[in-house]
Amino acid sequence: MKLNTGERWDLIDRISKETVTFGAYRHTLKDAIGELTVKPMTGIPVAIAVMYGFWSVFGSFAGFFTDGFFVRLFDAYWLPWLQEVFPGQGEWLYAIMVDTGGIESGEFVLSSNCLESFGVLTSGLFVAIGVVLPAIIIFYLMLALLEDIGYMPRLAVLLDTVLHRVGLHGYAIVPTILSLGCNVPGVTATRILETKKQRFIMMTLLAIFIPCGAQIGIMQDVVPDLMGWILLYLIIGYFVFGYILNKIVPGKAPEFLIDVPPYRRPLLSNIGKKVGGRVRGFFVVAIPFVLLGCAIVGVLYQLGVIQFLGDTLAPVFVGWFGVPKETAGPLIAAFLRKDLAVAQLSAITMTPYQMITAVVLVSIYFPCVATFAMMLKEGWKELIGSLAVLAVVVFTYGGLIHLIGILLGVA
Amino acid sequence: MKILLMGHPNVGKSVFFNRLTGANVTESNYPGTTVDYTKGWMKIEGGDVEIVDVPGTFSLDPKDRAEEVAVAMLHENRDAKVISVIDASKIERGLYLAMEIIEEGYPMVIALNMRDVAEDKNIVIDADRLERILGIPVVSTVAIAGEGIKELVSRLKEAKPVNVDDIIANAANASDTTGAADAGGAA
Repeated sequence: MKLNTGERWDLIDRISKETVTFGAYRHTLKDAIGELTVKPMTGIPVAIAVMYGFWSVFGSFAGFFTDGFFVRLFDAYWLPWLQEVFPGQGEWLYAIMVDTGGIESGEFVLSSNCLESFGVLTSGLFVAIGVVLPAIIIFYLMLALLEDIGYMPRLAVLLDTVLHRVGLHGYAIVPTILSLGCNVPGVTATRILETKKQRFIMMTLLAIFIPCGAQIGIMQDVVPDLMGWILLYLIIGYFVFGYILNKIVPGKAPEFLIDVPPYRRPLLSNIGKKVGGRVRGFFVVAIPFVLLGCAIVGVLYQLGVIQFLGDTLAPVFVGWFGVPKETAGPLIAAFLRKDLAVAQLSAITMTPYQMITAVVLVSIYFPCVATFAMMLKEGWKELIGSLAVLAVVVFTYGGLIHLIGILLGVA
Repeated sequence: MKILLMGHPNVGKSVFFNRLTGANVTESNYPGTTVDYTKGWMKIEGGDVEIVDVPGTFSLDPKDRAEEVAVAMLHENRDAKVISVIDASKIERGLYLAMEIIEEGYPMVIALNMRDVAEDKNIVIDADRLERILGIPVVSTVAIAGEGIKELVSRLKEAKPVNVDDIIANAANASDTTGAADAGGAA
């Protein structure tokens, strides 16, 4: 037999009257802290402090391991040793695996560091293990802490008003923050949004504007002083294009109802398991792609495809976006791994503003292949829609950034 | 045998799943951590039992994709048993979903999870009495601390479908006895 909603609630009322006693409500310390972090007057300063703390721990931890340890290990020992023992210097396999080198006054010279060598075993391994791995570990450690304490839903409540402007609601902060680690779980997390419209807007914004942890890690290493600008352009893009999408995408953007869970003391074992699992995922999924991306770009260089693309697309790159035509190579790599692409950009000579534009382009242009596959799994119609939006965004926003540079007199 | 872990978002289903199967699905303190189902295996009295960590849902009337996954999972497994995980500090609405599933004829055990949180809020639940009214096992648990998990597993075999009429009758009888005790307090 089935009950209707009213009958069911009546029955539950009767059952609960018999079995549950509600004592007097005590205002505990946990409740007090909970309220302080949700009420805007106190909650917003706390949120800013939390984000700032997150950022500075992230930067100093990643910097400590990358600059203090891995850069020396890779540049002083690993690279010279490989350059020495790998056979066939100057040949194509050597160029792809170890060092493409350079020509100085007519002579072949070896690269002096792992970002310029472009080899699978040098740049590829350095980017994956030396730069991205420490960044990923610290990012996931802190994310796990925020998740398990129960801070995320509070952030959702605080940001609700702002996110409504872009057709979403506070809970969109969960896919957004997950995407800052990796866009793949971010895309899956869009399932917690109620309507197709919200899911589409969220997925599109994630794929275009949210840089993943690997990419943030490498940016922190190679262009630390330009980070602020790059992130600012991405955040502005997120809101501006979110606002536009909200106006043009049909559908509803309902209010959200959320249970804010009580704060809990995180369990070390659970934090360990989560960070371990996510880092293992990085090893299994990301590292092969970094190495593969390195190899493909290396081969394309050797075959002259990248020079050809660069020359063909030069009017677009130089004229419209205002970046050097060599950016073509990293943009191809960006489809496999964005972190690799940023590393390759850093080896190209350009002005700081060109670098900002190029890194923003790498971020907003095509999602990496893993994200692409995940979006396809969530629905091919949405994927095609997202890609259409993406094409428009890359051209208008990329051009706009160039224009801003011209107006500021820096491009 | 197949067992589905079902309940509202953020009541601890994934914690149960990891405890029962030794697997590592992501657990977090916010609703909506699990958006797809995960399967795992455990041994009960020598037999292999499949456990499914189902995304949280408020009712059997889905309102987002994660809830659709949950409801589809339930309806695709007509022969499954259900462990209904309920946040003891929000027991009434947890019972609502449990009732919906019971009405569809699934054998069930109830895990009254987060007993510690309920205690913090001064909420006391008479689990034995609830068990007598519902006619299915009700076990108090604190899953993250591992409390009550063994008892829950040992009582899985007592899960059986119950008729809603019986529950209604039991609830009426129960209120008669209290009624007599406190001189007609409950009508």
